[in-house]
Amino acid sequence: MPTRSSRPKYRPTLRDTLIVAAIVALGLIVAALFYAKATRGGSVVVTVSVAGEVVEHTPVSQFDGEHVYTGNGYTLTVSAHDGQICVSHSDCDGQDCVHTGEIRRIGQSIVCLPAQIVIRLESASPGDADVIVG
Amino acid sequence: MKVSAKNIALCGVLSALALGLSVLESFFPLSLLIPLPGVKLGLANIVTLFALYALGSRPALAILLTRCVLGSLFAGNASALLFSLLGGLASMGVMIALRRWDKFSVFGVSLGGAAAHNIGQIAAAVIVLNSTAVLSYLPLLLLVSLFTGTLTGLLVSLLLRAAERLPLR
Amino acid sequence: MLAALSLSACGAQKPAELELFAMDTYMSFTAYGERAEDALSEAARTINELEQRLSRTREGSEIWTLNKEGRATVSEDTANLLAQALSCAAQTDGAFDITVAPLVELWGITTDAPRVPSQSEIDALLPLVGSEHLTLTRNDSAIAAVLDPGCAVDLGGIAKGCASDRVADIFKEYGVNDAVVSLGGNVYVCGNRPDGAPWRVAIQDPLQNGYAATLTLTDSFVVTSGGYQRFFADPDGTIYQHILDPATGYPVQSDLLSVTVVCDNGARADAYSTALYVMGEAKAISFWKAQQKGSSPFEMVLITADERLVCTPGLADSFIQPEDSSYAYEILTP
Repeated sequence: MPTRSSRPKYRPTLRDTLIVAAIVALGLIVAALFYAKATRGGSVVVTVSVAGEVVEHTPVSQFDGEHVYTGNGYTLTVSAHDGQICVSHSDCDGQDCVHTGEIRRIGQSIVCLPAQIVIRLESASPGDADVIVG
Repeated sequence: MKVSAKNIALCGVLSALALGLSVLESFFPLSLLIPLPGVKLGLANIVTLFALYALGSRPALAILLTRCVLGSLFAGNASALLFSLLGGLASMGVMIALRRWDKFSVFGVSLGGAAAHNIGQIAAAVIVLNSTAVLSYLPLLLLVSLFTGTLTGLLVSLLLRAAERLPLR
Repeated sequence: MLAALSLSACGAQKPAELELFAMDTYMSFTAYGERAEDALSEAARTINELEQRLSRTREGSEIWTLNKEGRATVSEDTANLLAQALSCAAQTDGAFDITVAPLVELWGITTDAPRVPSQSEIDALLPLVGSEHLTLTRNDSAIAAVLDPGCAVDLGGIAKGCASDRVADIFKEYGVNDAVVSLGGNVYVCGNRPDGAPWRVAIQDPLQNGYAATLTLTDSFVVTSGGYQRFFADPDGTIYQHILDPATGYPVQSDLLSVTVVCDNGARADAYSTALYVMGEAKAISFWKAQQKGSSPFEMVLITADERLVCTPGLADSFIQPEDSSYAYEILTP
């Protein structure tokens, strides 16, 4: 491995801020991509997927109440009320999903990694039809 | 770095240290404060970064792989391996590159590594969950990585300065 | 280790699929279940048999004979369908009428050479339209259908609906619980999608490419009628669409662009969608209200000429509107 010509720098340098800027920029771009559609109108659909397969795709207005999903040996209870969705109970270790709290806008999601369950709010896209009438 | 008994022992000690730190940080429930999957203090990265500077990229890589594989075995969680590996390798790759470029200090390298680690973990999540929904966590995770990266950089710079006097190579 | 990562597909079934051309239109079937293949073969056979019996243009069919001779011995199934058509005509005050066939032929809309007939030509044929011209009599051995001289029937507005009812029966018989079928645009959805979610049925936008709305449905028959589906333009540019008003003999000038009916019977969905289009918005809404209390309730989506999309309360929860739609959406108040 080539020998370094200069001493390793132990103090923060000005150039380090370039990296900070790059990270911030990346964060902003991803955020913009994701939340850009959040305020648009249109019907909101709840999608729940377990291990990559969609098990629920329902308009959020039809989703009130408690729903139980199991994945990878873990059980989650999803509570929905008036367009707000949260995981009210989970038997996973980290409880990240429960701590996420409530989601209510398009683009938001709750993830339980151990259970491999993703609960997501989307806007129903027209390209999603199974069959066309007319 | 010479392959010698001393150096192998050194790598072993550092790997054990990395593993120990991994276990230690799992006791600190950071996710209570920040409810994101995969948010960690990144304590084990201190060892990886230190090894990179003090010993070189190959030993550092070896220590990283050892920590990932053994860590997953100890945790008893196979899918954790994918997350660990993707995060660790991404982080390692970026840190080696940044260090070679020689324009940044330990802090810059550490920041790049921390960010790359989170990106790698999110990538693993996207693969396992087959859903791009997790990408929505990335902006916040990147923000957290700014802090953990700085903290790691600080600790490692102190360690390196102290270690200058040791005949590690 | 990778085994732990593999996304466990909980036995995702492969569907049986079928495509065919019948009743002058393209039909597609997707069915799930162990006997789905057999069910679809049976469905294809049944649809062909229906066409043999019911086609107005196929020489020797029961309807062809009826129209040509003025009388015909019809099978039980045909008689039932004719009876159902007559009852729909009575319910809708003649808005749906299978005896409108002579006028359909006059306009030639279903042919390659449609034309605008003269008023006198229409006046000559108008008296031949009306349910009173068709009678069904049942003897011990057979059922006879009799038409007054010069009259004719066309089951085009109900045959595909009837076919979809048959297909639904076949699915039940063969244990097919989940399927989606489109018979030239007449849709039947049975059960749910393989992932457990209800089927997504998109309603075509009459004005432009794309969908006006999507309905999430299960176990439903869905039919849309609209002028935009078939029309021709005469030399001076006026557009004539294919749905005739049985009362005037002219293509109906509706304040509706399309009507989509959702109900539990295919033939009725088919007949009602045409009838409601002829009726126009106000009468369609009163008809819907009346049927809500009766024996044949249904749900509907009306797309009006002034770009409003009106749907009945029963569909409110299954209704998904596209983000960038130009329609004003409203839900009917019962």
